[in-house]
Amino acid sequence: MENFLLKNIENPDSADIEEYLKIGGYKNIAKAFELEPKAIIEEVKKAGLRGRGGAGFPTAMKWSFAAADPKFPKYLLCNADEGEPGTFKDRPILEKNPHLLIEGMVISGYALGAEYGYIYLRGEYPHAKDVLNKAISQAYEKNYLGDNILGKSIKFHLAVHQGAGAYICGEETALIESLEGKRGQPRTRPPFPVNVGAWAMPTVVNNVETLCNIPYIISIGSEAYSQIGSKDCPGPKLYCVSGCVEKPGVYELPMGTSLKDIIFNHAGGIKGGKKLKAVIPGGISTPVLPESMIDCPMDFSSMPKHGSMLGSGAVIVMDESVCMVKVTYRALKFFEHESCGKCTPCREGTEWLRKSLGRIERGEGREGDIELLQEISENIMGKTFCPLGDGAAGVVLGMLKHFKGEFEEKIKAKGSRV
Amino acid sequence: MITITINGKEIKLEKPVTVLEAARANGIKIPALCAHEQLEKYGGCRLCLVEVEKMPRLQTSCTLTVADGMVIKTESENITKARRGVLEFLLINHPLDCPVCDKAGECELQDLVSKYGASAGRFKEEKRKTPESHEDRILARNMERCILCTRCVRMCKDVQGASALTIVERGGKSRMEPFSRESFNCEYCGNCHTVCPVGAILARPNIHNYRPWQIDREVETVCPYCGVGCSFILQVRDESIKRTIPKLGLGLNNGLLCSRGRWGYDFANNPERLKYPLIRKNGKLEQSSWDEALGLIVNKLQTIKNTQGGKAIAGIASPRCTNEDNYVFQKFLRTACQTNNIDSVSRLGFASAQRYFEDILGQGITANMIAGLKNSDVIIVLGGDPTAVNPILGLSVRAAARNGAKIVVIGNAKGLERFKTLKVTPPVFKEADVLEAVLSEIAKVKGPRGEKPAIDKRINELAGKYRTPEISGFNELKELLLSGKSVSIVLGTDIVQRTNGHKALFAVAGITYLLEARLYLLSERANEQGLIDMGCLPDALPGGRPLNINDFRKRFETSWGSSIPSDNGLTLMEIVDASRDKKIKALYVMGENPAFNIPNNPYVKEALSALEFLVVQDIFLTETAEIAHVVLPALSWSEKDGTYTNLERRIQRLRKAVNAPSGMEDWKIISEVSNRMGCKMQYRGTEEIIDEIADISPLYKGLTYDEITKGNCLWPYKGEPLRGVISEIPAAPEKSDDYKGDFYLVPEKLLFHSGTLSRRSSSLNRICPEPSLKIGEGHAQRLGLKDGDNVKIHASDGNLSIKISTDRYIKDNLVFISNNFEGRGVFSLLRYSLDPVTKAPGLEGCEIKIEKA
Amino acid sequence: MLSETVLKEIEEIKAKYPSARSALLPALYVAQREFGWQSEKAMQAVAQALNLPEAEVRGTATFYSMYKHKPMGRHLIQLCTNVSCMILGAERLVDFLKNRYGLTQNGTTADGRFSLVIMECIGGCDMAPAMLLNTDFYGDLTEEKIGEILGGYK
Repeated sequence: MENFLLKNIENPDSADIEEYLKIGGYKNIAKAFELEPKAIIEEVKKAGLRGRGGAGFPTAMKWSFAAADPKFPKYLLCNADEGEPGTFKDRPILEKNPHLLIEGMVISGYALGAEYGYIYLRGEYPHAKDVLNKAISQAYEKNYLGDNILGKSIKFHLAVHQGAGAYICGEETALIESLEGKRGQPRTRPPFPVNVGAWAMPTVVNNVETLCNIPYIISIGSEAYSQIGSKDCPGPKLYCVSGCVEKPGVYELPMGTSLKDIIFNHAGGIKGGKKLKAVIPGGISTPVLPESMIDCPMDFSSMPKHGSMLGSGAVIVMDESVCMVKVTYRALKFFEHESCGKCTPCREGTEWLRKSLGRIERGEGREGDIELLQEISENIMGKTFCPLGDGAAGVVLGMLKHFKGEFEEKIKAKGSRV
Repeated sequence: MITITINGKEIKLEKPVTVLEAARANGIKIPALCAHEQLEKYGGCRLCLVEVEKMPRLQTSCTLTVADGMVIKTESENITKARRGVLEFLLINHPLDCPVCDKAGECELQDLVSKYGASAGRFKEEKRKTPESHEDRILARNMERCILCTRCVRMCKDVQGASALTIVERGGKSRMEPFSRESFNCEYCGNCHTVCPVGAILARPNIHNYRPWQIDREVETVCPYCGVGCSFILQVRDESIKRTIPKLGLGLNNGLLCSRGRWGYDFANNPERLKYPLIRKNGKLEQSSWDEALGLIVNKLQTIKNTQGGKAIAGIASPRCTNEDNYVFQKFLRTACQTNNIDSVSRLGFASAQRYFEDILGQGITANMIAGLKNSDVIIVLGGDPTAVNPILGLSVRAAARNGAKIVVIGNAKGLERFKTLKVTPPVFKEADVLEAVLSEIAKVKGPRGEKPAIDKRINELAGKYRTPEISGFNELKELLLSGKSVSIVLGTDIVQRTNGHKALFAVAGITYLLEARLYLLSERANEQGLIDMGCLPDALPGGRPLNINDFRKRFETSWGSSIPSDNGLTLMEIVDASRDKKIKALYVMGENPAFNIPNNPYVKEALSALEFLVVQDIFLTETAEIAHVVLPALSWSEKDGTYTNLERRIQRLRKAVNAPSGMEDWKIISEVSNRMGCKMQYRGTEEIIDEIADISPLYKGLTYDEITKGNCLWPYKGEPLRGVISEIPAAPEKSDDYKGDFYLVPEKLLFHSGTLSRRSSSLNRICPEPSLKIGEGHAQRLGLKDGDNVKIHASDGNLSIKISTDRYIKDNLVFISNNFEGRGVFSLLRYSLDPVTKAPGLEGCEIKIEKA
Repeated sequence: MLSETVLKEIEEIKAKYPSARSALLPALYVAQREFGWQSEKAMQAVAQALNLPEAEVRGTATFYSMYKHKPMGRHLIQLCTNVSCMILGAERLVDFLKNRYGLTQNGTTADGRFSLVIMECIGGCDMAPAMLLNTDFYGDLTEEKIGEILGGYK
């Protein structure tokens, strides 16, 4: 399969609009404008595009809800708050292919009736901010953004909104709060953002990668698009592989490529020829899989059947030398740090888990600690305001499921194995 | 109609509410610590989890809206396990200090833990530590006990509108914090404390001095401070007030209070209260018996009446006393003393303005429900800051703004700065010109209405001569007013206190008339309306009946069994002047402090000192009492029964909560004097007084305490309002007033004080211990001054050294000092001359110079 | 107080949004640039510029980890230690910075040259361990390499 999302990124000037135009960029706007907005939504629906942020919600359905809401103005927000540890899939687009994103947003805005867009960019990507700002001003100059795009009475304005270091803002309602200048805590749903979103107006929040798939669908048509990869969630997918592999990096592959294939064929296998121990397949919030379970298609519907989730497609590979207790502890330190504090189980539970794991990790584990970790996790799971807490509990439960022995050993040995 | 099933019980609902609300309305209890009836849904504590059929996860009932056919279970093994889990999480960092926590006994967390069982103490790690903070003037903050339900923050932001609280940091480090000790916008309402479910926010006056279960009694009564008349419960122990507790569903404040209402009650516990009668002997006030004191009063008043006539006697009534007190007082003066020289400090603003409006727009024009403000789409605020003068009414203005109403502020109203749509700053003391111009513009579009010819005629005259004022925002102001479909006008009394205040009042009346607006008159004292209704006016009998109409007077004479002088008496300022001129020989002051509360204190003191006989009955030895010949100890509001009538003309019950060790009800003292003077008053209690009022006042006809308790006593009651308006609008020759000062001093109405009572409250003094000169930040900078600097101000009538506080919202060159602090009130520096129409004092001598001390 | 130029910059930011409140995050970045950190004065200045309650500005400013609540060194090292970086040796780098420069989490060198913030994932996992130095990105770090890089920041 030829790269679409990562097309031309080897070109050092790929972020420049002239380079983008050279490879046929922005042509899909004109093509899309020939269609009625509804027809575009229909195309996206037929293409079967599902949101690439992690939840896998059908994009066209989200759009149609917002489009059907009679309130104006509507807003299109691009979620570029790529904070899930292990995830760096959107980064090449943001830094090297910004015009693809802009093109995708212009078409999407037109389809759902949004005339204003914001790219919510994580604060940790300062370079991407400069690239995007430059790209946006170039697009304005060339009339791909503005009041009369391509001379038609179609309007779309775009700006970058920089986050400031809060993982939770990747959750769409927290992202909206943050865009509105507030503490980034998730909102009660319903009402959903598609009806009451940014500034109380209908709002669609789409991931960077999702929006970049739109020009592709317009370009090759829904029919051809739906043939790529897994049947019920087709299209190209960006997998980012890190950890103990020979060739870490972002790979654009058909959705549903097997985890094993990704690690061993594309990412060059385990670093230094060591033995694979475990894989976190979709970013740190997804349950770990032991080496024996990696022969599974990486897509939204298959992964739950194999005991984990696709998440953001961030594959973290761990070889035999990695201590799973330590990984769990580090993960929980992350969740504790990023818990927004709004709901009790997440705020208190992640802290309790981290403190207990830290104790075990330091060699101060006690009998009954494993049962305690299990119960705290169960008391969090399913009871939190947003999925952050579930993610934290899921990590511990997953680790205990597959690597309980390592925890027991550590509690007995009173010290780290590695 | 929505039908749902909770725990097998079918429930029908009119409108979609949350599952929690539906359950509670049907007597089904669900624990919830973050949810609160007055606050937006939050969904943070996770205790109210319930099972809903067809939903895989447990749902928070506080955020879930019912849908037809929903089947809900609020108790099950699974739910109990989840709730215990949540409680365990809440307790891991919560100190187990219930035995020393002042919240114990009324702590929602404690109650839930005792219901669901304490957790096994599996948390072996270190708890978070944050020391209890006593940095705040009135509240203590214990963030170890805080469960981060954020009720306080939501209350402060979304209901109170002060936004002084926030959660800082995130996750487990989250804690509630005031911005900083000195610069937050706290309004000290304590409403955060009311909604705190645990012992995280505590009232410092109550720390370690009793427990909730040690209260002797709880009495429902009305606040003694402003004209809103909030209801609350007084908690009493050992004949001393411990707390004021607002309650959801009780009174028009519905669970809220302001700083004065919440903390100001302790003036009644002040040890400086008067304990026995005093008589001046050899120039000094000395303790006497009641009999001696009353005997002296009767003797003096009789003598003066017999030798000089009733006109040589005057009385000043009190907007802090009850309707019953005031009714008896004016009856006593009119019958026993044969004088109509009766007025009150309400003349300074409220009474003057109301009389003016009623004369031209009809009685009851200001009787509008405070709750109605929320439904307005345009609210004009002028002449004062409602969030300071009548704070709970001010909250309705803020609520209206949140509902999308456009708030227009003319002049300064700091409490509305973040809520206003438009602020217009008229040239100093020229509000009338701006208002007349607005009125004329509105008339171009709307008028004449034809309903009240006198007003239409005057508007027409004005239209011929106005000029569009050169101020920014004028056109916007005009457009906003014309765009309103439901306009309210909130008028403070500052613009009444101008030498030509009546001009502005007419313009307001005209705008009210043309836009069919609701008019709200801010009222600084609890029973200003009541004392007017009771006839404590020189020209009107109870019910607002004009004294000089024979038929009305006759009715009262028959009922009271005494003649009433037929000539109108003197107004407040005229009484002062006549005292100085020795035309008035004896003055009877009930619950008022004219030597301090009337502008030009030195002059007033001098005038009152010239009296042959001055009687003061009060609860403290006030500035006026200090120069009196006889001082009688009265009772505080908490120690007596009666009624107050609030600014929306709602009559409310005051109930005795505390047995006072000394002193006597005002009405009882007056009755005693009256009896001794031969005019029989034999009331056995206040109920007999209200019966008499109900019998004789056309307005309060048929009123009983039962009716009042039921809350049915709203204008126009069952009575007969006075019909008709005057046919000619009173006018006075134009006064040319050219102001050339650097700065203009005007009185400030403080949120934390209201004068004589509040300055005896140790809590309010803790919140606001000293006066300051409020000045615009820009002006201060130009003078090289910064916040907290000391300055000396030079006015034509004196100098004053004072600290400044800068205010970035004040743009004009007005500077403000309140009249709340002994010897350092603004009224010690300002003079007045009477507005010829309203007889309110127009303040003069406002031009001042400021220099760095 | 903010200068006229900075206030103008904030006004321009405000114009990008339908509500002034939305300009808070960018305005806090501006204030941090001007004041070096989110001092009480900085937050007050932002509150005034946007007509927001100071408490809310503080609530927002303390929520996000990239707003600094104490003065920082001239150069800010933001080193990732999350799982991908950790398993490839980020902890050794933490030790190195401590031993060589005396830097600990949120600490500053005595000469005010560097401050260290230990980060959650900065999206540089393909070049783990990675860091941001001010706004420059560096990956595939070793003790030796990090020492060299720091040498270039005076």
